[in-house]
Amino acid sequence: MRLALALFAALVPSYAQGLDPAALAKTPTDTWPTYNGDYSGRRYSPLKQINTFNVASLTLAWAFQANSVAIKSTPLEVNGILYFTVPDHVWAVDARTGRQVWHYHYNSAGGDHIGHRGIGMWGNWLYFETPDAHLVCLDAKDGRVRWNIELADYKLGYFATMAPLIVGNHVIVGVSGDVTDIPGFLESVDPETGKLQWRWYTEPKPGEPGSETWPKDSDAISHGGGMTWMTGTYDPALHLLYWGTGNPNPVLAGDARPGDNLYTCSIVALDPETGKLAWYFQPSPHDTHDWDAVQTPVLFDADFGGKPRRLLAQAARNGFFFVLDRATGEHLLTAPFIETNWTSGIDQRGRPIALREKEPRPDGALLFPGSDGATNWMSPSFDPDTGLFYVVARRIYSIFYYTATGKPEGWAGRDHDLYEESTIRAIDYRTGKIRWNHELGPAESVAGILSTAGGLLFTGDAQGNLLALDASSGKTLWHVNAGGSMVSSPMCYQLDGRQYVVEGVQGVLYAWALPESMTK
Amino acid sequence: MRRALIVCLLLASAGIAEQRGQREYVQSCGFCHGEDATGSRAPDLVRSPLVNRDNNGDLIAPLIRNGRPDQGMPAFPLPDKTVQDIVAFLRWRVDQALHSSDVRADYPLARLLTGNAEAGRAYFNGAGKCSGCHSPTGDLAGIAAKYRPLVLEERFLAPRGGPAILTVTTASGEQISGKQVHLDEFSVALRDASGWYHSWPRDKVKVAAKDPLQAHRDLLTKYTDADIHNLFAYLETLK
Repeated sequence: MRLALALFAALVPSYAQGLDPAALAKTPTDTWPTYNGDYSGRRYSPLKQINTFNVASLTLAWAFQANSVAIKSTPLEVNGILYFTVPDHVWAVDARTGRQVWHYHYNSAGGDHIGHRGIGMWGNWLYFETPDAHLVCLDAKDGRVRWNIELADYKLGYFATMAPLIVGNHVIVGVSGDVTDIPGFLESVDPETGKLQWRWYTEPKPGEPGSETWPKDSDAISHGGGMTWMTGTYDPALHLLYWGTGNPNPVLAGDARPGDNLYTCSIVALDPETGKLAWYFQPSPHDTHDWDAVQTPVLFDADFGGKPRRLLAQAARNGFFFVLDRATGEHLLTAPFIETNWTSGIDQRGRPIALREKEPRPDGALLFPGSDGATNWMSPSFDPDTGLFYVVARRIYSIFYYTATGKPEGWAGRDHDLYEESTIRAIDYRTGKIRWNHELGPAESVAGILSTAGGLLFTGDAQGNLLALDASSGKTLWHVNAGGSMVSSPMCYQLDGRQYVVEGVQGVLYAWALPESMTK
Repeated sequence: MRRALIVCLLLASAGIAEQRGQREYVQSCGFCHGEDATGSRAPDLVRSPLVNRDNNGDLIAPLIRNGRPDQGMPAFPLPDKTVQDIVAFLRWRVDQALHSSDVRADYPLARLLTGNAEAGRAYFNGAGKCSGCHSPTGDLAGIAAKYRPLVLEERFLAPRGGPAILTVTTASGEQISGKQVHLDEFSVALRDASGWYHSWPRDKVKVAAKDPLQAHRDLLTKYTDADIHNLFAYLETLK
């Protein structure tokens, strides 16, 4: 692997101001080089200047007003510059001062502007997905366009929101869109040219393994959905990519697609060189509630059942927490992390067994969680110091209506939320038990989580407060009303001996730090 | 029956061109592509990339006129107007699929009314404890005439109501009550009977909340779907 990295580094012409690819393979301190901070998806920073003893002194270092729609992206930070996005827009901002370096505006031909998660970086180049499902390569120096390629046709219902993942000389990009019945895919393009290297389709071709989980006598398998709309993770030692896939289509219409509907609502392990499937696990077989399994597959090495294991853990939108062996895909643990009412148990392979009567109905079926999910795209975090997996968990009560009268197409119905509450939960990965619970009250929190070696957990509630909690107990140690809800996931870095925690709140990016008098 | 229902629902929101287009479509195309254009002997046109990429007939019209002889589709020498109407119909069918997640307030009663009104009445007076606060001849008299069916179902599941009534006890023992304005982990705010706003840090006061809607929320973890449908059927009798 080291050889591969060295070889790869030699291929990158110059990254004097760009990203040293070696940074991607280590846990960041002065750099946040990829969506989740590093390949593991733990969202854990080894920084501890800000810690449980001094976090009460946290103060505003700067704020950047983007005058934009809500920031849902996690900025990258490379060589003192932050790069972050909203749909159609990229900003480069000085990470020390919050002053703008450049701004790029893209004119979408169409597509969906629901949100944007951020960008990928390779050497001096940035990779930005667009609402009309293009991939734009920008020069990180000035935001100038190098090239622009179409990933998929927005006229068919595709759009794109995710932050590309860079592995070696592969830019891994996924797509969004479940309003129409289109196939999901993940692909790899060349970072220099944008040329396609491989494409993996969520649905197998008829006759291939997995195709037996779709009906034979219909076009369902070729219209099965399964979007790849969140950034995955990567294990350099095993050289495997881990990706969550979205819900099947038509979304609520299970009878149109009897079977497990592989590889929708799945965690898949792929070879980053070829896109070939190594193994899969399906958290929601035959989903009928929009509970896609795109939540971060978090990677960590730890003891499980008395043995050191290479683990992968996911808190899924359907309300269940899963632990797998990431080398083989072997299932190790399934446990609910919030109250649910849609299963009759767990099957031998560790998959929740869905109750037939809880599929959407013309007269309504009451479910918890609703389609917004027990959790969703906001980042979870794993803290190796506490051994706890943190997740924003929601109690969402919702009534699902199946509305189609003929052949179902698109959503074929929808759920209406009745009541929501949110809580932050610390899960013991070895047992699935909840170690602590921090209630956030009514409303649906969409704030992600960052944990740090300072013993802290940074997140927000749904009432407009930013929070720093004690990672071992869940007790609040710092808070501020930031004037809006955090609908993004926090990140941090240290520059010139000062640690910054950056959080997007609606159209404002806030950087928090200790007072300068305490960091000198 | 099912086919009649589909056609009836199809036409419910169609414009004049779309309705004309549907008649022409059924006559010329429906036999192979299905009467609702979702496919039969020939492919589903709602999901067709060509139909989705079409702009005012620029792709569909030549295809209708020329056919696809290699794939067994004959040419249809139809007048321009007819072709444009068929295009309008197909476009409208695509839009219906695009908006298939809209469950609107005019959702038909027949689809919701699957429960047993008598069992609903028993639940109302028994396990649901609804009669503790509500009366079919009092506050709920004529409720089914007041709300459309879907709204009625969702109102009893998740009623909109006034805010909770809070009573705040300060360190000195003073008590102030009023309607909740804000309540989170750190602060509490209310509006008192005279209309004035007050707020306190949570750690300096005691807060007691009385929420008249709590009983409805508690039911969300207790209802079976049958309870909901029965209760709905009962409330629908209160015209």
